[in-house]
Amino acid sequence: MNVKKTFSFRNRGINWSLFLTLVLIAAVTVFIPAWLIMPFKAQSASGVALSYFLKSMSPVVTAIALLSAIALGVRIWSLERLIGRVMLIPALLVVTVSFWFARQNHFEWMFNPLPNPGFATAGEAGFIKDSDMVMAVALNGESAAYPVRQMAYHHLVQDRVGAVDLVATY
Amino acid sequence: MWDATVDGRRLTFHLSGINNQNFIMRDEETGSWWQQVSGEAIQGPLKGKKLTQVFHDELSFGLWKREQPRGRVLKPDPALAAKYAAEDWERQIDQMKVVVPAANNEPLRPRELIAGVRINNAAKAYPIKGLLEQSPVIDDLGGAPLIIIVGEDRKSIRVFERNVDGRTLEFYARPGIEPLQLVDSQTGSQWDFSGKAVSGQLTGKQLVPVPVLKDFWFDWKLYNPQTSVYAPGVR
Repeated sequence: MNVKKTFSFRNRGINWSLFLTLVLIAAVTVFIPAWLIMPFKAQSASGVALSYFLKSMSPVVTAIALLSAIALGVRIWSLERLIGRVMLIPALLVVTVSFWFARQNHFEWMFNPLPNPGFATAGEAGFIKDSDMVMAVALNGESAAYPVRQMAYHHLVQDRVGAVDLVATY
Repeated sequence: MWDATVDGRRLTFHLSGINNQNFIMRDEETGSWWQQVSGEAIQGPLKGKKLTQVFHDELSFGLWKREQPRGRVLKPDPALAAKYAAEDWERQIDQMKVVVPAANNEPLRPRELIAGVRINNAAKAYPIKGLLEQSPVIDDLGGAPLIIIVGEDRKSIRVFERNVDGRTLEFYARPGIEPLQLVDSQTGSQWDFSGKAVSGQLTGKQLVPVPVLKDFWFDWKLYNPQTSVYAPGVR
């Protein structure tokens, strides 16, 4: 009886350690790049490199972490009573949120993209004043203007002007 | 303004990060990260590649419309109207802090607006305040004779090489005339804001436009550490 009790305690401990390690890995993988490349902060080249590395890994890392955490969670559930089971829930939530966040582009929440830009002719553009600034491009006989006030929000717009695929950036 | 095609592949870009207040874009096709101001891939499979710059102008809509009456203008997305920059957004941005550490003895304050010109590996910042007072400015940079012109809207800035058929021209503006009219001292020909001779001996000649980037001093300096700063009377 003694042996079985010790064994089950150790099993619980190992399961919990593994489980919490997964939670930590998932959270850190998405949190570090979001923190390092935050606006209004100075960035270093190594910080940008680390962010790129973590961001490119995070979809896979968080998927593995989520699946493993669910599997471990099921086992822990069977070993635990009420308090232990309740503690599983916020931890699993952290992994789930990390999994979801790894698939988001939060910069596009702040600055919505414009995947299908619409255009008006110069004469019909009532939404812009003569004194407003535009970025203007003319290629192969075709001419397009991108108002700076819109560009300062979207930051980038893709277009095709005079048969050239462009990305206008501001 | 960049050509979105790299090595024969058209890339689709997304805003995806920020690096010292200049944004990073990510291409869907390879996942590489690109620095907006330099057009250079800084991370990922395409690291080291550079986007090809496409010449563009920053003009007031009024001037642009006069030159390009048949052009098209990007429409605002009505759902985002409230999010677009306010009319006085430049003044608001001017008040924002700068995170790049400033060296001592900087000639300009970090958010001073400049017209940045880079030619033949030489870079120079022309403080816009000064240009407004002096336009047109005659200068030389990287061995190229330049003219920097502010339009009659007092907002649009263009830079041209002032070489025509092997001859270097000097210009002055005819005062009090709209649209803006420049005259070269060598032939007396008249030139418009698009760099074209509209009357006189050189009629039909076109000055070669030079890309100019309206930028904050701190950002320009960060990506052009060797830049000089224009001072009137010093070439």
